[in-house]
Parts: sequence; structure tokens; C-alpha cells
Amino acid sequence: MSAVIQARGISRSFGGITVLKDLDMTVHHGEFVAVTGRSGSGKSTLLGILGTLDRDFQGSLHVNGRDTAPMDAETLAALRRETMGFIFQDFHLLPNLSALENVLLPAVFSGRYMEPVEKEAESLLHRLGVRVDATPSRFLSRGERQRVAAARALAGRPMVLLADEPTASLDEASEEILFDLLDSMRREKGFALVAVVHTRSVMERADRVLDLREGVLHHEVIHA
Amino acid sequence: MKSSMRRAMRLWNKGHWKDYLFSHTMLLVASLLLVFFISIGLGVGRILDRFLSSDLPDEQVRVTPKGISAGFFQTERGGVEISDALLDSLENLPQTARIDRQVYAHVPAYLRGLLGGRNYYTDITLEGVTDAFVPDSLEERFGWRYTLADSSTARLPIILSENLLLLYNAGFAEAHGLMGLTRQGVVGLECQVTLGASSIASLQARPITVNAQIIGTSRSMALFALAVPIEFVEEVNELFLPGRPHSYSALVVTARTAEEVPDIVRAAEAMGLNAETQRGIAQKAELLVGIVTAALGALAAAILGAAMASAVHTLVADLKNRSYALGVLVALGTTRERLAQVFAFQVFLMSSITTILGGLLGCGLAALVSWGLLSLLPVLRLAVPSLAVFPVIHLAAGLGSVLLASTVWAWFFFKKTLGTPVTDLLRR
Repeated sequence: MSAVIQARGISRSFGGITVLKDLDMTVHHGEFVAVTGRSGSGKSTLLGILGTLDRDFQGSLHVNGRDTAPMDAETLAALRRETMGFIFQDFHLLPNLSALENVLLPAVFSGRYMEPVEKEAESLLHRLGVRVDATPSRFLSRGERQRVAAARALAGRPMVLLADEPTASLDEASEEILFDLLDSMRREKGFALVAVVHTRSVMERADRVLDLREGVLHHEVIHA
Repeated sequence: MKSSMRRAMRLWNKGHWKDYLFSHTMLLVASLLLVFFISIGLGVGRILDRFLSSDLPDEQVRVTPKGISAGFFQTERGGVEISDALLDSLENLPQTARIDRQVYAHVPAYLRGLLGGRNYYTDITLEGVTDAFVPDSLEERFGWRYTLADSSTARLPIILSENLLLLYNAGFAEAHGLMGLTRQGVVGLECQVTLGASSIASLQARPITVNAQIIGTSRSMALFALAVPIEFVEEVNELFLPGRPHSYSALVVTARTAEEVPDIVRAAEAMGLNAETQRGIAQKAELLVGIVTAALGALAAAILGAAMASAVHTLVADLKNRSYALGVLVALGTTRERLAQVFAFQVFLMSSITTILGGLLGCGLAALVSWGLLSLLPVLRLAVPSLAVFPVIHLAAGLGSVLLASTVWAWFFFKKTLGTPVTDLLRR
């Protein structure tokens, strides 16, 4: 399996406090990597770096075989658009837009909007159990917003989906439902999934579990 | 507009239409007011200039007695008169090239005629002037010589003071329900002039009446006088008031060069006379126009400033509130270039359209106000064709400034926001 993300010697500090220390990590095409760790261990920081959102780190990052170090902001944005999907902890939906509009947002703003894209977005939302209507996303429940964020991430047909505690503050059943969907779609579409999770049942679905403790990758659990 | 851009604009502004409309309304109001004040301000300046202007050339000095110059009433006011001795003194100045004399008819007089099919009567003051005051074209056409001996074969040529015409239009015509007169419309009017009597005074000698015709207008005549050939006035004064000392209503002294005008002014003032030059008239006019313009300008600047501040504040505040949304878009892979395109379209193009629309509405409002004022005040209508002036370059420069002031701030803030790391933008 070839690597979609390859991080070497990643370190990140905030105001003199080191959050990530000399971390190596590889994500292969199609695999599910679960990242776990206590609060403040650097999980979100790691995902921000892997997602090329945070560039202020030491070490090297290759995405789909391309070194991100020499890339300018525009190239990185294009790289994100072409290879990555994000489910943020707070979902980062635009509150005035409907579910469908939020899903279509990246396509519209990258000038790639076409009718088939809308059909596909509607289909994704249906599959994730979100009703397609004009209701602004600020009126949706947390579970619904989480699924809209997932649909938005998947609509761009990413090579890797980065999910930062997408099920935080949701009950275990909702978490199971979401990961059922994500996992089945991962198998179907072949994208890699890197997710920050806390639930053992979800970890058991992953191909590998990375345990971050105070910025250090202590051990890697590999499921057969 | 491309459909993708339209769609992006729609999504970007969804839920923010109130802010969007408010900032553009403020911009529209600012543009409207700017154009309105420039247009009407220049129009007011033009009308003041029109009222205060004079045909006096640079090298001439108009010397008049101190006190109120009102022709027939002058002696009763006790003003210092310009005698032949003072005339000689001025003629003997080394700076003097020539002197053209003006003489009031010191006899009561009135004018009768038909105006708009109605009888028209008014007391008048005649002022005799030499042919130097008469434009060559008029002199060739009508001649500028007239004595009582000509009364059976020719009409007395009259040149009307334009200030008198304005005064007539402003007060008399309106108050008496008479039609207003334009500069062009008054030329050619025929009437009868009677000397030796008026509605308020009469002399013992029997009045005489001559046929007359207004052949032109002038801006350099005394305020209340009708200008007629000087020999006619001299003859009438001699006929009705044979013992009265000879005096002049005004002398127009031509200096050898314009640089010598101040010397003549000083000499005339030393004799106890008034001396008026084109520069002096222009200075007075400029001062008055300046005061009015400054007052209008201050008012305009205050209103414009408020509208502009409001528009800029809303544009910038809107961006500030949406830096999070910008962060989301950048995180999802939207390039800054694409965002700049959307922003440029939204701010520059839409603001340009708003500004132009505001400018056009400002022109419309200025034209409407001009029409309203000219309808209400015939004196203005007769003085100028319109109170609204539309100098394209000035208006374009003004509107350009409004557009730049509003959009440059927004653009600056937008670029600053886009330069912020994505992770910072995503923190609400």
C-alpha cells in the first residue's frame, strides 16, 4: 500500500510549550487510522498539521507523495481541495446555509459546481440521513450537523478524510452510526480515514490505533 | 455574471443581506449627496457670480460719488458729486488714457409701454453714457446719438442695466403679476419715456415724451438707471434744470496700463470718490461665493462623512464578522485568489454600480431641486437656465473618491484577514 500522508520528525510548540515531539506517522491509501489520547495530548494539533492547515511546525510532510514544505498557501489550498476532506470538532458549518448549501460550498467556491455535483451531494445527505431542505444549519441538531459535515467532507471525493473528534458530546449510539457509515463508505470509495476517537468500539474498527501522550506517539496498536 | 460567481455571491451573502443592503444604501446616499452638493453648489456659485459680475475691463476704474447713487434722488441725498473740476483732476493724472463720462438725468421720469399685452408703467432714472459703453454691433445697428430734435423721426435708444432687469424680475414683476423678462426677450421692446414728471415728483416745466426702444443690456450700468445717449441727458438737464451745477454720475477712467489702475484708484479715493475696479468687484464676488460655498461645503462634508463612515464601517464590520467563514472556505480548499475574485466582484463591481447609480440619482435630485426652485423663483429662472451644474470631470473625480474611500479600506481589511493563518481564522 502506498502512503497518502507521510509525516517525519513532526514537532510543534506553542509559546515555548512543546505539543508534538519528533513524531513519525504514515497513513496509507484506504486504511483507517484512529488517533487517541487524553485532552491536550496534541491530537487536534496533529490533524491540523496533517491537513496542511497548520504550517508552523518542524519536520516534513508529504501528501500523496508531494512535499508540502515548498508549497505556497494557494498550492496547499488546492492540495487540500483535491486530496482531503475534513470533519472538524465544531463541524465549521456556515450557520446561515442549508445542509445542501454547506455540502456544495467547496465546489461552488472552487468554481467546480455543476448539476451532477449537486445530485451527488443530495444523494450523500440522503445516505447519511439528513433531510434536504432550506433549513439553515444553525437550526439542525448536533447529530445532524455532524452528518452534514461528513457529507461535505465526502462530497469532494477525498483520498484521505481527517475527522477531529466528530462525535464529541454525542452519545455512543450516534457515534456508532456515524462510524458505521464512514467505515462502509471508506471501504466502498477507498479513501483513508484518520479520526480522533475515544470509544473502544470505534477503535476496534480501525486498522491502527495511535496513542498520543503529551505529544509523543507512545505505541501503535495494529489490528490484524 | 458567470453562474458560479453568482452562486458564490449568493452563498456568501446568505443571511447577511441586511448588512449588504445597508452598506450599499449608505454608499448610494453618499454618492447621491456628493453629486447633489457639487451640482447645486456650483449652480449657486454660478448664480452669485451672475449677480455680482461686471463687464468692466481690467484697465478701467469706475469712479462714482460716495453715498447712494440713485439719479434723480442723488442731490437730495447730499452725496459728493463729481464736478467738472474733479473730472479735470482725473484727466490730468499721468496714468489716465481717457475718461468716459456718465451723467444722470436729474429730472423725474417714467416709462410706459405694453408688456405681455398689459399696460406697464414705472418711474425711471436715465443715465447718459457715451458710445464707449455701447457694443460696436449695437452702435452700428442703431447709432448712439439722440437729441430732442430726433424725437419725431427716431426712437430714443436705451440700454438696460441687467441688474435692473433682475430687480424687476425678483420683485416688481412678481408683486404686480407681470411677466418676467429675459435678457434676450427685453431687447427690442418699444415704450414711451416721459421726462419732467413721475408718480412721486413733477417739475413746473411741461413734461416731454419721446418714443424709445430697448436695444441692449449691460452689466456695467448703475443699478437703477436706463442708459441713453449722453447728449440727450445733458439736453434734458439743461432744459428742465438750467441753473443746476453740472455733475457726473460716474466716470469710467481708462488707465494706460492695467498696472496703473491702483494709482488712479488712490487718486480718486483721495478726492472723496468711490473707485471700483474689476478686481475689486471680483474680490467681493469671490468672498461672497466663498462664504456660501464654504457653508454648503461644510454641510455637505458633514452629511457625506456620516454616510461614508457608515458605509465603510458596515463593509469592514461585515468582513470582520465573517473572518471565520473565510477561514472555513480556505480550510476546505478555496484558494485566496478565488476568494479575492468573489470579494472584488462583490465590493468593487457592486460598489461601482451603487456609486454610479447614486451619482445618477444625485443628478436627478439636483435637476429636480433646480426645477423646483426655478419654478418658485422666476428671478433665478431668468438669471440662469438651471441651478444644477454637471461638470463631468469633477463629478467623476468625486464619485471615484467615494468609491476608493469605501472599497480601499474594505480591501485592505480583506487582504489582512486572508493573510491570517487558517487555524486562527477558524477560532471564533
